[in-house]
Amino acid sequence: MNNFLKLVWNEQIKLYAQKSTWIMIVLIAAIVLGTGLLAKFMGSGIATEEYGADWQTELQEENAALAKEMEEDEFAGFANPFVIQKNEYYLENDIKPLPYDGWEYVLENAALTSLLSLFTIIVAAGIVSNEFKWGTIKLLLIRPISRTKILLSKYVSVLLFALTLLVSMLAASWIVGALLFGLNGASPMIVQETSSGFEQTSVLKEILQGYGFGMVTLVMMATFAFMISTIFRSSGMAIGLAIFLMMAGNALVAFVSQYSWSKYILFANTNLGQYFNGSEPMIEGMTLAFSLSILAIYFFIFLAAAWTAFTKRDIAGN
Amino acid sequence: MAGKAAMTLIGLKKTIGNKPIIKGLTFEIQAGEVFGFLGPNGAGKTTTIRMMVGLMDITEGDVLIEGKSIKDDFKEAIRHVGAIVENPEMYPFLSGWKNLQHYARMTEGVSQERIKEVVELVGLGNAIHEKAGRYSLGMRQRLGIAQALLHKPSILILDEPTNGLDPSGIREIRKYIRNLAEKENVAVIVSSHLLSEIELMCDRIGVIKKGELIAIESVKTVEDHSALKDVHIEVHPLEMAKDYLQSEMAQTIAINKKELIVSAKREDIPHILKNLVNRGMDVYGVRILQSTLEDKFFDLIGENAIE
Repeated sequence: MNNFLKLVWNEQIKLYAQKSTWIMIVLIAAIVLGTGLLAKFMGSGIATEEYGADWQTELQEENAALAKEMEEDEFAGFANPFVIQKNEYYLENDIKPLPYDGWEYVLENAALTSLLSLFTIIVAAGIVSNEFKWGTIKLLLIRPISRTKILLSKYVSVLLFALTLLVSMLAASWIVGALLFGLNGASPMIVQETSSGFEQTSVLKEILQGYGFGMVTLVMMATFAFMISTIFRSSGMAIGLAIFLMMAGNALVAFVSQYSWSKYILFANTNLGQYFNGSEPMIEGMTLAFSLSILAIYFFIFLAAAWTAFTKRDIAGN
Repeated sequence: MAGKAAMTLIGLKKTIGNKPIIKGLTFEIQAGEVFGFLGPNGAGKTTTIRMMVGLMDITEGDVLIEGKSIKDDFKEAIRHVGAIVENPEMYPFLSGWKNLQHYARMTEGVSQERIKEVVELVGLGNAIHEKAGRYSLGMRQRLGIAQALLHKPSILILDEPTNGLDPSGIREIRKYIRNLAEKENVAVIVSSHLLSEIELMCDRIGVIKKGELIAIESVKTVEDHSALKDVHIEVHPLEMAKDYLQSEMAQTIAINKKELIVSAKREDIPHILKNLVNRGMDVYGVRILQSTLEDKFFDLIGENAIE
């Protein structure tokens, strides 16, 4: 095991010795900071002002103003009813609205997990194929270590990299959010919209879910890219295919959703959010257990294909 | 060549698709021996080496390293091997030192001291802390040899080790290799398509052509003193010397510029010269053209055709 950790350590050293890795990390920090600054200074609709002691009256006045705006301006009909309903929920349940804070900012940044997926795909697509590109694969595979172990150490390294990115992004979001918007305590409750109306939940739970669901796509697509690059030794092809599928996957499923076999498509199952907060699953008859099984099957097929290609192949040419 | 076999090839075959690439190689390499693996480009040298180190599957036959099969007992067999396969490719973004540390972590028991020792041995000095991407080909070769020596292998395989080196670099590598074989009892396998380069460092040379071993020669037999060699003698007057030697030695003697070319044994040379001088001719120089393995193997190898 000690020896396996050394392999992972080697992979991490190689990863962080490359400039491209640091560019990814700096980009994430810059984007987090950038969106924070944009939201703070140019954002509209972010309630950074705290409501006063007579917040009920303030909310009623706000709703009246919004309703009036809707009569005058037809475009206001898109966003205003949502705010009005939310305000009514506060009034009915006697909850004083909290101002926008760093926790909510962290929660909103869950959308950036697709950026993490993108970067992890790039790393996953290169970690095996680059050894072939550099020619170092020949020196790597003539050590008293099985190919299985070397491949596994590379895969674990990809996951470790994803985890590092995730933690960095969470930390950056939390710090930027806290500095720009402040924090409403250690674990404030927020009001979120669900399919059955509004509901008060813990922001930590929401953050965990938001990022957790994002990680499912990340792990699946990174594993996919890892497989493609191991089989075809081409990082470009692996990156292209994985990103294309990640973007087009949902559209693809929607396109064929009238057929019952469509629920076996990977992308019908990557969004586990469809089973939470009272949402309807994408295709009728799907359950959480079903999706988890399908995900597990794809996961093992990807890894088995990569393993077969890597352990059986003749290392020839350059 | 007393000693135990460090590596044994037994009917080694490789077929890719339907095409036989290696058609059954059988030979042994002894500990402390430098073995030259010679053949034109495309003869199957690199394929054979890739099978020796387990980078390629063996279609038929086996390679035994210190008695362990590379096919069935990869880890036990490969731990005795250090190798450079084709070019010494390194991670360009890591320093030479970090490249070595990387490989050191992959084998048990390679200490920091050992890394320092190996760096010293190949003479990389301070350059070891520069990025390998900035190394010249010669420095990369040295780093390549360093990574192959880290774990004190009993078999060292070097694929075209003098590629891209200048003459002084080649001489140095030759010196390391001889040293390793003689002092550390390492079996060294050196492949090359240039015979003139490896005949100087090898004890034995195996010639491969189109996937078949066509000759194994001990280099020493070629240095046989009783063999006839071409002796070039710069002498004046030329015609007189030629006539005299032709009658004396009963052979047709060629003239090349100011030299006579006489075919003679080493032991006859002083006698010839004495006679020339005694007959009042001026001898300005004598040189023996080494009969190289090149001549010997040229017919075997033929032209450098890749088929």
